[in-house]
Amino acid sequence: MKSFVKILGALMLLLGVGSLAHAELTIDVSKGIEGRGIPIAIAPFGGGAPENIAGIVASDLQRTGKFAPQPAGAQADYSVTGQAGPGGSRGYLVQFQLAGAQGGQLLNLSFDVPPNQLRPVAHRISDLIYEKLTGEKGLAGTRIAFVTAGGGGWFLVVADADGQNPQVILRSSQPIMSPAWSPDGSRLAYVSFEGRRPQIVVQEVSSGARRVVSAAPGINGAPSWAPNGQRLAFTLSKDGNPEIYALDLGSQSPVRLTSGGAIDTEPVWLPDGSVVFTSDRGGSPQLYRIGPGGGAAQRLTFEGDYNASPAVSPDGRYIAMVHRRGGRFHIAVLDMKNRQFRVLTPGGLDESPSFAPNGKMIIYSNGQRLNAISVDGSVKQDFVLRGSVRDPVWAPYSR
Amino acid sequence: MKNRIRTLIAAASLALLAGCASTGENTEETAQDATAQQGVAGQPGQEAYSYPYGQAPSGYDTYDTSGGGLAAAGGPAGGRAGQAVSADRIVYFEYDSAEIRPDSQGIIEANARALNGNRRTVTQLEGHTDERGSREYNVALGERRANSVRQAMIAMGVSPQQIRIVSYGEERPAAAGQDEQSYALNRRVEIIY
Repeated sequence: MKSFVKILGALMLLLGVGSLAHAELTIDVSKGIEGRGIPIAIAPFGGGAPENIAGIVASDLQRTGKFAPQPAGAQADYSVTGQAGPGGSRGYLVQFQLAGAQGGQLLNLSFDVPPNQLRPVAHRISDLIYEKLTGEKGLAGTRIAFVTAGGGGWFLVVADADGQNPQVILRSSQPIMSPAWSPDGSRLAYVSFEGRRPQIVVQEVSSGARRVVSAAPGINGAPSWAPNGQRLAFTLSKDGNPEIYALDLGSQSPVRLTSGGAIDTEPVWLPDGSVVFTSDRGGSPQLYRIGPGGGAAQRLTFEGDYNASPAVSPDGRYIAMVHRRGGRFHIAVLDMKNRQFRVLTPGGLDESPSFAPNGKMIIYSNGQRLNAISVDGSVKQDFVLRGSVRDPVWAPYSR
Repeated sequence: MKNRIRTLIAAASLALLAGCASTGENTEETAQDATAQQGVAGQPGQEAYSYPYGQAPSGYDTYDTSGGGLAAAGGPAGGRAGQAVSADRIVYFEYDSAEIRPDSQGIIEANARALNGNRRTVTQLEGHTDERGSREYNVALGERRANSVRQAMIAMGVSPQQIRIVSYGEERPAAAGQDEQSYALNRRVEIIY
């Protein structure tokens, strides 16, 4: 009976993926935001478009943790007004204005879109407002990938950053793990156990075209794209124990970057081409760094006896990781500039950190669900999805 | 009976999945329908620019890998569909450890004897961990556990050619609970043959 319930859960998720994509889904993002934001009044967009543009903008801005959306007419530092209705050459004309408290106009834009782009346009409006008022790039228009499992199946899913519009890009009766976005956001590398052995697959997200890039004996794990998108680093144990390799995607043979009898795994690239990875060569898992071609490793973490699963911020300044303290697993972050180490989450079974493309948020899994937290710890998001969800990765900005 | 219901549900879910896959028309339209955006230019306090909507994902074909997928399935465990392995073929481990416990010696010896008795039998040692900690590090830890069992078997006369190893890390728990009892059941190597 228990498995039946599990399967039903998976089915409901998948039904949402299919025909109900624009209806109420079993997936939603709670507004678990701490702290107060800048008041911004958002008026409903008139005009009769089949998406609630103002509602999407309000929830996008609320989710950033920096804004407190208010109903139209409320006292606020800023106000958003707009129209979305039939018109333009593509079906719908969407216009919006952002004004300051004194009525001074800050933004006034219009978009000519087909019906299926109303939601993306709403996210775009959110990001334009966010960027105008904070000076940072927004995340409303970005995507995430994650793995969900249930009923004996594993699913690789790509969704909007608000959890909406989920698309299953791979389903398997065997585990799927460790998805990684290519730097241009067009491809995902991941580990698939199809055929009951691990292999590293690169899949183009739009076409679904797949290529197995590694199926060596033993572990094929933890793929990570070099900043130029031309190389993949990953873990192979074909020579007896897990070592870091780098593969030029134009070639067939990976080059080994580490050696020794310890576990070396979870490589990620810094912007300068050096590689950070997890190793237990010192007796406990810690993060180390090696040059682009390997060589001597420099130890990066010294707090506690378990630091693993590194993720690098887009600018290379921060390394997020899984950190064990008092038997609990937390997400922690190391500032590479001043070597300051901070524990960000209350902890439990936290794992799989991944930076948002603006470098401000980290998405991770608490073992059951997805959460996101700002690098400064001030903003928290809780993604509520049915079923067990893990291995989140935030997509880069598209070209 | 339970298995049959499970199979039926699985079949139904696959059918539904196939339906879902074919409802990709919407997203395909997205791709064909390249969208342009124009800013309203020329007035003070306004911005004008354009950008492509190329980022919209399109045409999500999904793949069902249950038939064995890209690589040839094969392997000694190829036909096993997640049934429970009998207790005399499971070796358990302490937290964070790949050391063979004294109480596991008997199980390894019995299986080594069986493998020594038939040199053509190939076993797959499947390494597993509990769910705590990094997933990929757990894959490495699961492999280390499988290697411990492998070394022990080789020391008992089993030929290295008779042993294959795969580590699933924490991806295939035997028990679903988040308590020490479940964790202990999940830190294991299954001897499949």
